[in-house]
Amino acid sequence: MPKTELSGLSRLSRRNFLKLGAAAASAFAVGQFIPPPVARAARQSGVLDNNGSGYITTMCEMCVWRCGVHAKVVEGRVVKLEGNPDHPHSHGRLCARGQSGLMNTYDPDRVLTPLIREGKRGEGKFRQATWSEALDEVAEAMLKIKNTYGPEAMVFSSTHNLSQPLFENLLYGFGSPNYGTQRSLCFNAMIVANLITYGMEEPTRDYSQLKYLILTGRNLTEAISTSETTDLVDAIAGGAKVVYIDPRFTKTASKASEWLPIRPGTDLAFHLTLINVIIGEKLYNPSFVDQYTLGFEQVASAVKSYTPDWAATLTGLDANVIQRIAHEFAAAGQYALAHNGWRTSNFINSFPTERAITILNALVGNWGVTMLPSAGEGGGGLGSPPQPAYPRVSAQRLDGVPWMYPFVPLKIGVFQQLRDSIVAGQPYPAHGWLISRQNPVLSLPDRKKTLDAFNKMDFIVTMDILMNDTGWFSDVVLPEASYLERYDPLVPLGNQIFIRQPVIEPQGEAKSALWVYQELGTRLGLADFFQYKDEEDYLNQQLAPTGVSLSELRLHGSVKVASSGESNIFQWSTPSGKIELYSAALQKDKFDPIPVWQEPPLPKTGEFYLLTGKVGQHTQFGTQNNQLLHKYQDVPRLWMAEEAAQNLGLKDWDMVEVTSPVGSVKVALEVTSAIRSDCVYLTPGFGHLSMGLRTAYGVGASDSALHVTYTDPISGGQALSQTFVSVKKA
Amino acid sequence: MPTKNHYAFVMDIARCIDCRACLVACSVENNVPMDHTRIWVHDQQVQGVWPNLTHTFVPYNCMHCDNPPCTEVCVSGATYKDDVSGLVLVDQEACIGCGYCMEACPYGVRYIDQKRGVVDKCNACVQRLGIGLDPACVATCVGKARLFGDLNDPNSEVSVALEKAKSVTTLDYEKDGTDTNPNIFFLNLPATGSILSSDAFGQVAQTSLPRDPHYTIAEEGWKKVAIPLMAVAMGATFLVQAFFFTKQLVEGEKEFEE
Repeated sequence: MPKTELSGLSRLSRRNFLKLGAAAASAFAVGQFIPPPVARAARQSGVLDNNGSGYITTMCEMCVWRCGVHAKVVEGRVVKLEGNPDHPHSHGRLCARGQSGLMNTYDPDRVLTPLIREGKRGEGKFRQATWSEALDEVAEAMLKIKNTYGPEAMVFSSTHNLSQPLFENLLYGFGSPNYGTQRSLCFNAMIVANLITYGMEEPTRDYSQLKYLILTGRNLTEAISTSETTDLVDAIAGGAKVVYIDPRFTKTASKASEWLPIRPGTDLAFHLTLINVIIGEKLYNPSFVDQYTLGFEQVASAVKSYTPDWAATLTGLDANVIQRIAHEFAAAGQYALAHNGWRTSNFINSFPTERAITILNALVGNWGVTMLPSAGEGGGGLGSPPQPAYPRVSAQRLDGVPWMYPFVPLKIGVFQQLRDSIVAGQPYPAHGWLISRQNPVLSLPDRKKTLDAFNKMDFIVTMDILMNDTGWFSDVVLPEASYLERYDPLVPLGNQIFIRQPVIEPQGEAKSALWVYQELGTRLGLADFFQYKDEEDYLNQQLAPTGVSLSELRLHGSVKVASSGESNIFQWSTPSGKIELYSAALQKDKFDPIPVWQEPPLPKTGEFYLLTGKVGQHTQFGTQNNQLLHKYQDVPRLWMAEEAAQNLGLKDWDMVEVTSPVGSVKVALEVTSAIRSDCVYLTPGFGHLSMGLRTAYGVGASDSALHVTYTDPISGGQALSQTFVSVKKA
Repeated sequence: MPTKNHYAFVMDIARCIDCRACLVACSVENNVPMDHTRIWVHDQQVQGVWPNLTHTFVPYNCMHCDNPPCTEVCVSGATYKDDVSGLVLVDQEACIGCGYCMEACPYGVRYIDQKRGVVDKCNACVQRLGIGLDPACVATCVGKARLFGDLNDPNSEVSVALEKAKSVTTLDYEKDGTDTNPNIFFLNLPATGSILSSDAFGQVAQTSLPRDPHYTIAEEGWKKVAIPLMAVAMGATFLVQAFFFTKQLVEGEKEFEE
């Protein structure tokens, strides 16, 4: 049996952990001993019996896909989660993360009272505090920063969750423009490309009639979106052909009809060539192109030099294969789909790659068949509490939007640039950071630089259910109620509204974001932005115009509302109203209006491409402490090809040192035939720094400690695979 | 002996994506201790020559055999084949934890729950069947690879799936002239580059059941790395059993006849 020593840190014993601060440790341990009372709301709505047992309908939050959930509760304790068959994102099924969700709630490491730092930042010494003490301290620090340096010196970050509108009230009401989401670390290139071409962030994929699918680094069986993953497996079983492009032989590759181990950074060359072959051989849908697209002629002349032979040299793929795939894709016509991915291979040329994919889809005219307008969140006839207009903000955003990145939506931003501006103190210094449900210490590239940014801060406050790595370096930690313990604002999904409602009462002193933001907002003089009595009153105000009562919604878990009316799906929200193959907007800002080849940088001799990618058992940086997922995860190791390992004299399970220009980590080696010999791969989300995560701490290594910050100038996306590393025996 | 119901699993290998939702669902539903599992997804490892690679995942658990060797050896009568459902179940009130059934089971799907001192294994979630629910693993299977139902009902999902199938593989184990007649039916188990390839036989002995233990387990909230999940339960019998199991894998492929 191989023995592994993951890092020096893993030798830390439980006893050492306890020494870190008795108060802190006891705060972590309280939750499991207090039986939570039966959720009051659920009992009132009649879904639980007198013993507090029954099923409650709610929504998952183990990732951002938000599957529907039926939670089984026995005597006030949630004992099992099932997929809600009526929810279009789950169809009755939940992935491993969804199934494990109750372990997040019952994690023995839950933070269950507000904590205030006592030792140095990162030392892990905290004392318990009451909510009023903690919130007073937070508000006082924030107001001091505002009064001394202006509201823009306060940075706010949180990502894509249902209470986001209230978080935005907090930051825009406060008067700061500095809003950090994590999206630039994920799929900015895809979103901005879709906005340019189709005028929407992300069209929906429809697999029901699919015959031919190109997946560009979209590892759908490991980066799981439950319903879409099921749809893909169904489509393959039904005979659809799937071409999967990835330098790694992932589990999706094993299900695909054809796997193309492309050289990292050259997906653009592959797609440009498909466009050239399809146009050159007149295989496109001429009536669709003519009627619904703009700029076909410009594209046709721009791609002429991108021949299969040219692409073969760059991609390492066979020219005949590339040509055949172009033929097959075009032959499938409107039943073909080039999946826009959530990320391509993550190079600085990811934006033109994503643009090329949008063009490819337009050429075969698959709109309305395999690609549909996104169902969209918003509207649905819901009301909202009254609130005043936001104060005018004159300060520039630290993340460079829009003054450096004119095409990046304000709600998305460029998170790594925000961090870099904080470190540089330019265009002005930031002094405080409020972080909710986010873990930038682990998620941002170049971890050392992120900790440098933390060092520039007078004050940092983090809200989470656990002592995540960011909380570990914060001054105040606020314990949030888990998704099974709280209400969240309602968001319509198509013509339905699903509810997230408490399945059990919050444990300890944990509170919902709706409550915390309101309490903090009130202390900051922003009470007018939070005009609701409590969570239920907020939801009642949302429901008021629909005529649906909250108790009805609680009982059924969802209600149908009037749809916003059938709109013409062949009308796009682009400047021209058409699908813009050529973008005058890009041209105006002196960017290439049509995707053209951009050479990616190459690793030096002895260096490897460092690839990133998901596993089916974890979401980003927040689930590694879940004991059920921990039980069934693979030990996170560095993948390396047999040939490369042999050259370096390395064996399976050897401890290796991985070094990039910005950092170095130690991790166990996995020698495999499932990766190109010029690449290595590390599962993200491990290598936690917080010793408050007793299950995750000491497991694996952090790829963020290795990633160099490279930002795509158009979409603001972080080029996550553009870091090159060397590997040697540790 | 025919039973009123004939419950069986059908596993469509083409559909299994090794997401492990089934494993977590089972652990939660059945309160399986953190250092044990009732069900597995066997990782066949990456096979083939670059770039023509395959990677196959085989979900399995107790086979609920027609002729279960485990019931034969049970000294307390705790392990029995239910004469209504046909499921192989353990009466944990009666179990004395002697472990003979674990030795007898050719598939290695039983473990001793040290805390309770009793043997435990997949019971096809009988507690759910009673209220009309599929077993937890089947209900949540993201790829719809796991199916469960009554073979005595020609309209059940499993009967229909087997009716449509071109070929079906069962992992039979024969001893003293008696075949276990297991009730897991595998669809689309690839013939080459998989455990069924005789070329890969030598390798199979190493990589066959139980699941290659490449995952960590939580131990008292803290952990050691790469603890073999089944090592405690299987002990020294593992290699011998793996050999026989594998032998049967190779010999056990047969056309499904209905």
